[in-house]
Amino acid sequence: MTTFLKLNFNTVIVPHTVTRHYQLIATGKFDTGVKVPRNFRLLEELEEGQKGVGDGTVSWGLEDDEDMTLTRWTGMIIGPARTNYENRIYSLKVECGPKYPEVPPTVRFVTKISMNGINNSNGMVDARSIPILAKWQNSYSIKVVLQELRRLMMSKENMKLPQPPEGQTYSN
Amino acid sequence: MAENSGTDPAVETNTEENAAASATIIKVTVKTPKDKEEIAIAEDSSVAQFKEEISKRFKAKQDQLVLIFAGKILKDGDTLGQHDDLLLGGSSQTSASSGPGPSQGNTAGTANPSPAGNLGTPQGSGPSPTPTQPPNVLAGFGDLSGLSNLGMGSANFMELQQQMQRQLMSNPEMLSQIMENPLVQSMMSNPDLMRQMIVANPQMQQLMERNPEISHMLNNPELMRQTMELARNPAMMQEMMRNQDRALSNLESIPGGYNALRRMYTDIQEPMFSAAREQFGNNPFSALGGNTDNSGVQPSRTENREPLPNPWGPPDASAATTTTASGTATTTSSTTSSTTPSVSNPLGISSSSLGNGMFNSPGMQSLMQQISENPQLMQNMLSAPYMRTMMQSLAQNPDIASQVARPSFPKQQLMQQMLQMFAGGNALTQTPEVRFQQQLEQLSAMGFINREANLQALIATGGDINAAIERLLGSQPS
Repeated sequence: MTTFLKLNFNTVIVPHTVTRHYQLIATGKFDTGVKVPRNFRLLEELEEGQKGVGDGTVSWGLEDDEDMTLTRWTGMIIGPARTNYENRIYSLKVECGPKYPEVPPTVRFVTKISMNGINNSNGMVDARSIPILAKWQNSYSIKVVLQELRRLMMSKENMKLPQPPEGQTYSN
Repeated sequence: MAENSGTDPAVETNTEENAAASATIIKVTVKTPKDKEEIAIAEDSSVAQFKEEISKRFKAKQDQLVLIFAGKILKDGDTLGQHDDLLLGGSSQTSASSGPGPSQGNTAGTANPSPAGNLGTPQGSGPSPTPTQPPNVLAGFGDLSGLSNLGMGSANFMELQQQMQRQLMSNPEMLSQIMENPLVQSMMSNPDLMRQMIVANPQMQQLMERNPEISHMLNNPELMRQTMELARNPAMMQEMMRNQDRALSNLESIPGGYNALRRMYTDIQEPMFSAAREQFGNNPFSALGGNTDNSGVQPSRTENREPLPNPWGPPDASAATTTTASGTATTTSSTTSSTTPSVSNPLGISSSSLGNGMFNSPGMQSLMQQISENPQLMQNMLSAPYMRTMMQSLAQNPDIASQVARPSFPKQQLMQQMLQMFAGGNALTQTPEVRFQQQLEQLSAMGFINREANLQALIATGGDINAAIERLLGSQPS
């Protein structure tokens, strides 16, 4: 709760009317034409992550709630059904650098996984093998990345891959 | 302090037994791949208890539940309160396997032994994503659902806040809108909350360190309540400030009063302002300092080139005022010209509409702007009711006034004296004639028979007999 109040300490009491004022500025909804500042974008993503937009099969949020640079994020993917990833929850770390969203974030799996494009020893997602990372657009977002990874889990080449035992993580 | 000010009084009674270990119930939206429900649960319950609720609601086994929120798995040992975002209107996802769950994954050491799985999956119901999930389901809670739009509450984004502040403050209408918002008002009526908020502001903390009076002031619940009343009611606030100014101008007329004020100002207020100023990065009083070169004894005559403002004029013209935080002589009049727009009140409600010479100095204006941009400080600076009565009693009690003015007077004692005066109550301010009774007698004994002129001179010189004599002699040769 402190965070809520913190917001108020530093500003005046901010009712929703004012917030919407701000939101009006930030809402461009990830248009490619409009260059939205990084922090605004990330804040929107944070909000979405907390509200749980989407179908509930991916989740993301700040790794550290106090991180004001909004750089380190954690993500979760629920393994899709009818694949070897089924019933598993995969944890990831996503790092949005200073040039985000102009450049894609770096993504890496924390939970061990066997999948094309994921480095077997450290879980790093190879940006060249994952289409949306390779052809990144600034309208993409963390959510899109997670959803795309999940979609790839369902692809023919991945879905039958034998997986390491559950619950293992990469050591780094 | 971690509590929602908007506790939900009308608790949606949980359909199952209640989880209310405390009075603060929050409603959390829980989504599974198949459906979504709102669960009301006490804020301080643990994740395990939450899972209990969920398992009942979704008819799933508790140890098969995995709760995910914002990319993190909620551990049984945690409490919901640890996840501020959750409280602010997040929704958490659940996955549970109700089918033949695969073996317990041994997640190394977490309190979360359950295997994860999609609820929908084992039952083979189509694609796991639930087709009809409304996108933004905010788990609002109680009265604060509107505020959950703030959403970003999980981090402290200074720049963002500053920006918002600026926007807010540049538009005074917005401010009044905000003040009228019942939510705001309800927050303001909670003195503890206000105090906490004020105290937790790092700027305020610095200010408080330098000036313990501020913390005294904050600790006084009566005062806080009055302050909040004022803050809530801008009209009342303006009225209050106008009264203050009038009281101040009266103060100047008492014998020795002007000097008293001046000294009060230099002793107390300047350090105050330097303290405040450091945060605002500006020294408005450097400009003032240049202006306040007075000859001490007859200040009003030599320096006051500006016409005195009309204290009963529209508040803008008289530079609506608030006192600075320290209860001490912050309401000293400006040392230069006008008494009414006292220097102690740099915070114009509309800082743009300041009238007087001193206030037009750019330093001053920027100070005001900056202070008004920090409304927390502004609130703190409202010690209005306090100061007004103090000044009135000060006005009729010249002894104390001169005592107060002694430069050697340490701040603390000063404060106490003021408090005593304050406690001593309000009396009417006396007319100049009554106040200068003694001086008038002296003057007439010396041969100045024109009582009117004597009175005028005394008023002009603030009761200083010598100065009055000179004045009288100057105007009437012989």
